[in-house]
Amino acid sequence: MFDILPHLVNGLTLGLLFALIALGFMLIVGLMEQINLAHGSLFALGAYVAMQLTGPRPPLPAELAKLWLALPLGWRYAATLVIAPVIVSLVGILIEFCMRRTYGKDPLYGLLLTFGAAMVIEELIRLVWGTRDYVLQVPSAVNGGFLFGDLIWSTYRFYAAGIAAGIIGLVWLLIEKTSFGATVKAGAHDSEIVRALGINLSRLRLLVFVFGTMLAAIAGIIVAPIWGIRPHMGVDAVIPAFLVIVLGGVGSFWGAVVAGLLVGLCVGLAGAYASEWSLLSMYILLVAVVTFRARGLWGKKSVLEV
Amino acid sequence: MASVIGGTGSFFGPWKENHAWAQGAKPIKLGLTCDASGQYGNSGQDDFRGIKMAIDEFNAKGGVLGRQITFITADTETTPATGSRVAERFITREDCTILIGALHSGVANAITQVASKYGVIYMNTNSSAPSEAGENCSRVKFVWDGNGTNFSKASVKNAVDSIGKTWMLLTNDYVWGHTTSAATKAQVEAAGGKIVDNLLVPQNTRDFTAYLLKIQQAKPDVVATAIGGDDIKALREQVAQLKLDGKPAWINNQQDWPDVWGAPDSLFGVFGTTWYHKLQLPGVADFVRKWQAANKDGPIPVPGNVSYNGYMSTRELLRAIERAGSTNNVKIIKELENLKVSATDRMQHFDAYMDPMTHQMQQTIYLARRNAKPADNTDLYEIISWTEPKSAADDAAPGKCKLAPYEQVPTVDS
Repeated sequence: MFDILPHLVNGLTLGLLFALIALGFMLIVGLMEQINLAHGSLFALGAYVAMQLTGPRPPLPAELAKLWLALPLGWRYAATLVIAPVIVSLVGILIEFCMRRTYGKDPLYGLLLTFGAAMVIEELIRLVWGTRDYVLQVPSAVNGGFLFGDLIWSTYRFYAAGIAAGIIGLVWLLIEKTSFGATVKAGAHDSEIVRALGINLSRLRLLVFVFGTMLAAIAGIIVAPIWGIRPHMGVDAVIPAFLVIVLGGVGSFWGAVVAGLLVGLCVGLAGAYASEWSLLSMYILLVAVVTFRARGLWGKKSVLEV
Repeated sequence: MASVIGGTGSFFGPWKENHAWAQGAKPIKLGLTCDASGQYGNSGQDDFRGIKMAIDEFNAKGGVLGRQITFITADTETTPATGSRVAERFITREDCTILIGALHSGVANAITQVASKYGVIYMNTNSSAPSEAGENCSRVKFVWDGNGTNFSKASVKNAVDSIGKTWMLLTNDYVWGHTTSAATKAQVEAAGGKIVDNLLVPQNTRDFTAYLLKIQQAKPDVVATAIGGDDIKALREQVAQLKLDGKPAWINNQQDWPDVWGAPDSLFGVFGTTWYHKLQLPGVADFVRKWQAANKDGPIPVPGNVSYNGYMSTRELLRAIERAGSTNNVKIIKELENLKVSATDRMQHFDAYMDPMTHQMQQTIYLARRNAKPADNTDLYEIISWTEPKSAADDAAPGKCKLAPYEQVPTVDS
């Protein structure tokens, strides 16, 4: 009986990471009605930019680089958690600018555009950093393992789950408890009324897309030390992200979080007790839920049903 | 670069261009089935570097039989369906009479099916499932890498005797993983050990925590992995994170060099290889220098086992054509079946030979572990043993491999 407890804990921590990966994707689909297939590539870009900033050759003038590298790794890592998403958000701005012509049209246009953007970003990553693998250095305080219940656990895994839970909480506060969140939700519900109230809808959409991009980049930085950094890591992220939002229900914040946890539990438990089913289990879960509830657990009619 | 452009040019070019060559010294055109994306994308490109180096060397001295060697390459995406499609296109539309390359045994097997149908010689450079020279062997296919059984035979008995009898298997859930783990299981049981569990790992698994917890709960003496490509990279990072690289002991069947480069700190356990760029043998340093000159801007600074196998297989193919004095497929096959290469020429410790019953190159198998005192930042391995070919030979393969008679092989000539 007690043998299962480590796997439940593992499943929940993994689930929080899935929820974090899906968060930015969920916001853009739910609030902008746009399926951003570039989410995975932005996730990868976040990891690469963070690796470049924390690595031995930061892209800075010699003197600045010297000062930057003199900082302890912990400080550099903390600063990178903020700086890298901001840098990646510039790419998000570019994508959103290109997407403007697709608003109000068949969602397929946005889908194809973001698919193209994903390909471009992945190839640019290959051009700049090559095909080799990289490791994202993390401070020693969150590295290594600790002993608990006669098993060694990854310190970083719990740190990552904690960060994921914190970011999920902050995003919820922003969306549910601020006027910005209320405006964004109103814009998603009825853009004409929001425009009639004098709110700049273009700017609002840009802000949502940039915010979603930054969340993708943060997820990439957090997950990179576990998955490793390689050009196609974005594909590994976008598939579970899509699965989580469909399972939770498009547009539902807590649906995505609960779906992330369910998927994590499913993969974690299958990994321990029916290992060959571990990846397949998440797809079986999706099929099982969507068969009985096409909109997902807490979904409403959305772009996916147009 | 010129060859790449040449190869690509003919790919996009009109069909009649190929016929124009028939008038004079028509080049011999090779189809390079190297992955550029997917689980073995990095290794596939490393394979390509070795193959291309051999081609360039022959072209520099006038080609083979007075004919230049050209090639075309396409990404097989580490996907059997794509591998099959690429092979079919290379043979039927691009006029390739020989195919070279593969890492993933599923891709290699798919290419083999196509090559066998047309009688086209296929050099399986780096796919190491025992089934490649066993039940999936072919008269037209030659396997150049050591396989899971070879590496198991070189490592398991000693590990059972010196480390412990309780073993757990961690197996990539596809043909190479299964056949390699089966070989390990047989060796463990023959040596008096016991397999307590076999955890199947789906391809593209990125999170191994559930498996690592399970291993800790089971407390085996040894974990034997048959995990490849990007999956083994992720596993290594997570094992290193948890500092589980001491107990249990880890036997990683084979370690491909491109999977090591970029994350040397997480290189754990004992693992197998067929070659290392710091082997203290004649010719190695010179080969490394030539490889570096040919790959100045590559992502990996030294040749590893994957590039070595690509080079050796292509070199021996071109030599076999020279010896045969012909590009007739059966004549080349017979030359390759009688192939013997001296240790010096192979840059290994023992002479190597092609097994005519299975078409697998029998060669020196090395065991290595992480080098605690590297001479430079590429010196990641410490070679701890080398096993001669006959001691590591896969004894079961000849019984499983049924080669078609020569007269049933369709005639192919360049």
